Amino acid sequence: MKMPEEEREVILSQVGEVLKDFRLSRESLIPVLQKVQEKLGYLPVLAMEKVAGDLGIPAVDVFGVASFYNQFRFNPPGENEIKVCMGTACYIAGGKIALDSFERRLEIKEGETTADRKYSLERVACVGCCTMAPVVVVNDKVEGHVTPTRVDGILLGLETGRQNEGTGRDGEGRQNR
Amino acid sequence: MSAEVTLTIDGQQVKAVAGEKLLFVALNNGIYIPHLCAIAEEERPSACCRLCFVEIEGLSRPVTACTQKVRDKMTVRTRTPKVDRLVKTGFELLLSDHRLQCRTCPKNGACQLQMVARERGLKLKTGRFKPLAKDIPVDHSPETFSFDAGRCVLCGQCVHADQNIARVGAINFINRGLKRKIGTFNNRCLRDSPCTECGLCVKACPVGALTFKT
Amino acid sequence: MSAAPVQEYYQKLQEEARTKSAAQKHLPRVRVGVATCSIAAGAIRVKEAFEDEIKAMGLEAPVIDTGCMGHCYAEPQAIIDKPGHPPICYGKLDEDLARRLVKDFLVDDDPCFEFAMAALEPNDFFPTFEDYPRGVYEKKMILGQCGFINPEDIGDYIAQGGYAALAKALEQEPEDIIREIKNSRLRGRGGAGFAAGLKWERCRAAESDIKYVICNGDEGDPGAFMDRSILESNPHLVIEGMAICAYAVGAAQGYFYIRAEYPKAIERVRLALKQAREKGLLGQSVLGSEFTFDIEIFAGSGAFVCGEGTALVNSMEGNMGIPETRPPRMADSGYRGKPTVLNNVKTFAYVPAIVRNGSAWFKSTGTPESPGTAVFTLVGKINNAGLVEVPMGTTLRTLIYGVGDGIPHDKEFKAVQIGGPSGGCLPEAMLDVPIDFDSLKEAGAIMGSGGLVVLDEDDCMVSIARYFLEFTQQESCGKCTFCRLGTKHLLDILDAITRGEGTPESLDTLMELAEDVRDGSLCNLGGTAPNPVLTTLRYFRDEYEAHIREKRCPARVCSDLILYYILPDKCSKLCSACVGSCPTEAIYTREDGIKAITQEKCVKCDNCLKACPPEYLAVIKLSPPVLPEQQEGVKN
Ligand SMILES: Cc1cc2nc3c(=O)[nH]c(=O)nc-3n(C[C@H](O)[C@H](O)[C@H](O)COP(=O)(O)O)c2cc1C
Ligand code: SF4
Ligand code: SF4
Ligand code: FES
Ligand code: FES
Repeated sequence: MKMPEEEREVILSQVGEVLKDFRLSRESLIPVLQKVQEKLGYLPVLAMEKVAGDLGIPAVDVFGVASFYNQFRFNPPGENEIKVCMGTACYIAGGKIALDSFERRLEIKEGETTADRKYSLERVACVGCCTMAPVVVVNDKVEGHVTPTRVDGILLGLETGRQNEGTGRDGEGRQNR
Repeated sequence: MSAEVTLTIDGQQVKAVAGEKLLFVALNNGIYIPHLCAIAEEERPSACCRLCFVEIEGLSRPVTACTQKVRDKMTVRTRTPKVDRLVKTGFELLLSDHRLQCRTCPKNGACQLQMVARERGLKLKTGRFKPLAKDIPVDHSPETFSFDAGRCVLCGQCVHADQNIARVGAINFINRGLKRKIGTFNNRCLRDSPCTECGLCVKACPVGALTFKT
Repeated sequence: MSAAPVQEYYQKLQEEARTKSAAQKHLPRVRVGVATCSIAAGAIRVKEAFEDEIKAMGLEAPVIDTGCMGHCYAEPQAIIDKPGHPPICYGKLDEDLARRLVKDFLVDDDPCFEFAMAALEPNDFFPTFEDYPRGVYEKKMILGQCGFINPEDIGDYIAQGGYAALAKALEQEPEDIIREIKNSRLRGRGGAGFAAGLKWERCRAAESDIKYVICNGDEGDPGAFMDRSILESNPHLVIEGMAICAYAVGAAQGYFYIRAEYPKAIERVRLALKQAREKGLLGQSVLGSEFTFDIEIFAGSGAFVCGEGTALVNSMEGNMGIPETRPPRMADSGYRGKPTVLNNVKTFAYVPAIVRNGSAWFKSTGTPESPGTAVFTLVGKINNAGLVEVPMGTTLRTLIYGVGDGIPHDKEFKAVQIGGPSGGCLPEAMLDVPIDFDSLKEAGAIMGSGGLVVLDEDDCMVSIARYFLEFTQQESCGKCTFCRLGTKHLLDILDAITRGEGTPESLDTLMELAEDVRDGSLCNLGGTAPNPVLTTLRYFRDEYEAHIREKRCPARVCSDLILYYILPDKCSKLCSACVGSCPTEAIYTREDGIKAITQEKCVKCDNCLKACPPEYLAVIKLSPPVLPEQQEGVKN
């Protein structure tokens, strides 16, 4: 799997851009990776190698850190990010049932992305609106009281009303603050 | 600050330098305490294998000998019901995640797990716990040695050898939790990593995970 | 230290802030709660509706963002403060209601009491929050301003006396402050309840030019969010507490460790830090004194274990968040190997008030060993879910029935889970236990993170234990043997029990292993992970036994041990609500018109049970999963 030259260029220049704002030491590693992922949507291998080189630490250490934390991912996310809350309140209100329904409908397991890259499914812990449990966050929009019927509704909405609020499809925008 | 202290381990009077780690004081005096992860020169031990438990008078619970600095008049017991119970459980837990085929293992006879079993009269069986399936391929890519992650006990000896002694930076721990393992950048095989095949990690490995090819 | 200039500097700041807020006094003001929870409930839309309508009506009335008042069951909320009326709080707002309030109240002077929750000042027309049971039992020491002041405007905080404690502290000797904190017996609110004053004293005594103060805002408990709420609703309170601590221990640099999943909190803290710097409350020569202190934010990357101090430091240093053995203690050698004070968000939040009012004031609330208040995220099967703050020593019963207004739908209370994944489940018989660090610990639970989940008859205790264990198992850093592998085996055993595959021996193994993981783990993640298992085994053993011996889940939760069944004599032949609700088309109509379930197709999603109209309630769950037909041996 060879990466087109332009894509390499984009990654290297974006990472270079990010690194400009940091002191080049190991302490910057996590903030740098966060920024890189914010820009690129994920952590490409090439980006991690560049970060390692510029910070002067072994590449395996960068990979170790990135693989340790939940936040980092090594593959581009799906167009639509579905996060099912499995915080305590949501769990006892049937969060597992909602997760099961998404898994059944999308035919993927949590943590995976559909083959067409349209959906990725994740579980998160308490998004802070327990009174609306069970809660699902779809492209950063919170949906409360999610029963399996609502799951169908949510997916139908994403299939048809593509133009609705789902912002930041490219993995940018969404994280920009 | 190198005051000499006298302590008692299992009734035996032992002299040591204050501040030394209890585990190594015991080992140097011929008293065996199970251990996999301890590294004598590390100031802050990783204490991850959790096998070196002992009881020290005055402390309510067993503690790890590799983290305890010796003090004058310390009274230590290496075998108590509480210690034995923890060591047995810890040992069984490690075996439950270990490709247990001693007969075909290159380390057979020289393995530290076998040593623990022999010294403490424990069986080389997972006992109460069902084996956690492990079907990881062995990395035969280096010319001189092989890495069998299925036999790794995550003691960290090889990482220390690679990063702090050889100063290469080919391997480290990767992932979190149950998926934690020794790995290379992007899970490449060792031959495609910066590994120089100096062999220090292989010599450091207490079990049959890193072994020289014969 | 030149004392007078500090006071002078502060007085000037406060005057400025007060003049500015007085200038708006004659205007009606709308404060909309905009925090993560309320945004989810639609607060942004409500806020925009207020703004649009106010503009459309040609009114001059500022719409101000505030944080969270803690009444999460009634989000979105707004407070309307119109001269001539007491400030009134409205709950469960939507856009229409917002527009109506503008027309009826702001324009026409009708406060629409039918939608009001409470007034905020005593008056002759409408009750205040204090007049409700919840208000009687609550006592707000750190949440008091949350939801009322504007977290994005430092002036609001200063006008109400904010940073006065810092000014006062800077006139004292650091040792005096440490003595005051020690006298107050303030205990850390991050879980373990360690005396804050002792920690500070040790750090002060440690020899080093460089020291650090870190605020632990990692809040990893999957059911708790009060730290986030405080950071979002009143960030300056925490900043002020940290600055006082830094002055007391001799640190010049501080850090907020906030999880990246809390973008709103990070945003508000960042803004607050900027404003504090602009006002000379952070940076070189704080409040004109010789004290220098600044704070940076470190965004955690989502690993529960990073809440543990040594793991937190490792992650700030660019490593995996892996705990280390102690000693050395953080106060001697923490971040970058320097003496470091690490305290929880809430711990810092108490500090300004203690410095302002003295330790005696603080100790007058709560119990002798655990003075002050306890802050909980009260969720689960409870009527008034939300953030609550009660004096330590309040009983669980008062908290659940008095403050939380009991269990909804006339269900029966079963247990209360306290302290999240490190905590435990307590039964009815323990409800009169007072809430304080030591009593809870004795009962097997812990104060922990402050998550408090109420469970009712529909909750399966084995499944709850399994849930928490799954969490800790996934969040184990994987370093040490007992936690990495022990929690996995505990989970596997619990899994088997919930599937009806447990054996009587599995309970013994579960118990032994739980104790060994507790005693053998390196850090307190592993050390406390077995608590949910140990407490449920202690108080709800019968439920485990029912799963094992009878293959029965008493609460009818464990999906392998239940089946869905339509009672033929209750089913109305005319209705087919359940048929359409089923995602797998498992429900069919029998020849006689009654509905029935093809068990092989059923995925136990619970839809049909919810869909069946209340007048029939024909769908039920059976456990053990045996059809009545099979029981009687009659073929259908
Ligand atoms: C696994 C684990 C997770 C923790 N998570 C948090 C947390 O999210 N927030 C927190 O303040 N303390 C947490 N703690 C406790 C901290 O280690 C530390 O005791 C605390 O921050 C000290 O502050 P305090 O004395 O003000 O409570 C955690 C501890 C462990 C073992
Ligand atoms: S490979 Fe050997 S030395 Fe390295 S962690 Fe595994 S068991 Fe220890
Ligand atoms: S107890 Fe768990 S989290 Fe703590 S060091 Fe051990 S493996 Fe890591
Ligand atoms: S548990 Fe899901 S929002 Fe809190
Ligand atoms: S040798 Fe002490 S914990 Fe491994």
